[in-house]
Amino acid sequence: MQENYLAKWLNNELTEAELTEFKQSEEYATYQRIVATSEKLEAPDFNAEEALLAVRNRRTLTDSKVIQLNPFKRFMKVAAVAAILIAGAYFYMDSLEAPISTHMAERVEVRLPDNSEVQLNADSKIDYSKSNWEDERKVTLEGEAFFKVAKGKKFTVYTKAGEVTVLGTQFNVEHRGDFFEVSCYEGIVSVTHNGNKTDLPAGTSYLSLNNEVQETAVPINGVPSWVNNESAFRSIPLRYVLDELSRQYNVSIATQGIDTDQLFTGTFSNTDLDLALKSISIPLRIKFKFEGKKVLFYAENTP
Amino acid sequence: MDNVCEDAVFANIFKTNSKTVFNYIYYKFGNEEKANDAVQEAFVKLWENCAKIPPEKAKAFVYKVANNLYLNVIKAEKVRLKYADKTLKSTNESPEFILEEKEFQKKLDNALNSLPDNQRTVFLLNRIDGKKYKEIAVIEGVSVKAIEKRMHLALKSLRAKIDGIK
Repeated sequence: MQENYLAKWLNNELTEAELTEFKQSEEYATYQRIVATSEKLEAPDFNAEEALLAVRNRRTLTDSKVIQLNPFKRFMKVAAVAAILIAGAYFYMDSLEAPISTHMAERVEVRLPDNSEVQLNADSKIDYSKSNWEDERKVTLEGEAFFKVAKGKKFTVYTKAGEVTVLGTQFNVEHRGDFFEVSCYEGIVSVTHNGNKTDLPAGTSYLSLNNEVQETAVPINGVPSWVNNESAFRSIPLRYVLDELSRQYNVSIATQGIDTDQLFTGTFSNTDLDLALKSISIPLRIKFKFEGKKVLFYAENTP
Repeated sequence: MDNVCEDAVFANIFKTNSKTVFNYIYYKFGNEEKANDAVQEAFVKLWENCAKIPPEKAKAFVYKVANNLYLNVIKAEKVRLKYADKTLKSTNESPEFILEEKEFQKKLDNALNSLPDNQRTVFLLNRIDGKKYKEIAVIEGVSVKAIEKRMHLALKSLRAKIDGIK
C-alpha cells in the first residue's frame, strides 16, 4: 500500500489492486462510514456581509492611524501640518456658514458667534450667516430649537410659519407642518405669525395648531422638557405626539383603529423607548407592538 | 491591473475567502468569537498592506495572518459542529437506525475533538468546505504531501477511536 493511502483513497487515487485490498480490510467499513457521516457536517453560521461591513469600518479607522504612525520625511511633515491646517480652517469656516442639522434621534448644541446658545432637537435644521452676524442676528429654523440669546441687537428666528424677534432671552421655537409653537422662558419675545404680532412675556407659550391659536403657561426661567430628555405635551393631538416619538427614536410608527386626533397630555422619555411607549399607551388604553423597526399602536379590543 | 486596494477587488477577495478563514480558525480552536476576530484582523491587515500584496497572494496572506494571530496563544476548545439531518428526516428509516446513526455521530464528534488541531483542521476543510489538498496546502503554508500525511493520520486515528482500538 502506498504512503498516506487513506488520503489517496479519499481522493480516488488508489490503484485498482490497492483499492481491492483496502476494501477487504476489516477497518474499511468504519472508514467508509466516517467519510459518509462527515459529509453531513456543518460549520457554525458566519455572516459574511456583516463581517465585511465591520472590516470596512475598521479600515476607515486604521487608515488614519497609518498616516500618523508612518515615519514621515521632514517636508512631508510640514506638508501634512499645512494640509491639516488648511483642511481644519476650511471645515471651521464651513461649519460657520453651512446649515447645521440633526438626524432622527439626534441632538446638537450650537454656539453662535455672539455666544448665544442653540440646542437643536431631533430632525431639525438651523442656518445663519456668519459674515452678516455683526449687523443682523438672523437664524432660520426648520424643526425645533431652544435658544439662549445673549444680550445685544435684535435677534430673529425665521420659520416658514412666522418669525420670532427678541433682544436677549431664552425661548423655544418649534415649527413642523401645521404645528407652530414658541415658548418664552426669560425676557420677552415677539412672535409674528400670519401677519399678527404678539408679545410673549416670560412664562407664556404661543401655540398655533391648524391655525387655531392658544396661549398657555410655561415655567419662568425653565427649559423645554426635551432639553432634559423628556417630551411633554398638554392637550396636543396624538398624531403630533407620535411624530415626536418617531423623531426622538428614529422609529416609524403606525396606528390601527386609533383616533389620532384625540388629545394627549403627558410626557415621555427621550432615552428609554420602552418606557416612552408605555407612557403613551397606558393612559390612552391602547396597545403597542414591534414589527421589526416599526411600532404599531392598536386599539385594545382589536385582535 | 487588479489591485487589492481597489474596493471591488478587496470585496471579492473577502467574499470568496472570509467564510473559509472563519471555518479554518474555528476548526482549529473551537471558538466562534476568536474565529470572527481572526476574519476581522486578517482582512484589516490585508487592507493595510494592499499596495504590497498582489491579488494572487492575498489568499495565502489572510490565512497566514489569521493563523499567526492565535499561534501558541489560545488553547483549543471543543469544536461543536452540526449535522445536517435532512437525510435522516426525509427517509423512512427505522428508529433503531436513526438512534444508531446519532450514536455514530457522537462518536465521530468525540474522535474529532481528540485529534491534534492541524489534523482536525485539514480533515474538516476537506470534508465540510470541500477544499482540495492543494488548496489546504496553500492555507496551511505547507506542501501537499504534508497535507496528505495529516489527512491519512486524521482518518487513521478517527477510525481507531471510533472502533475502540488503541
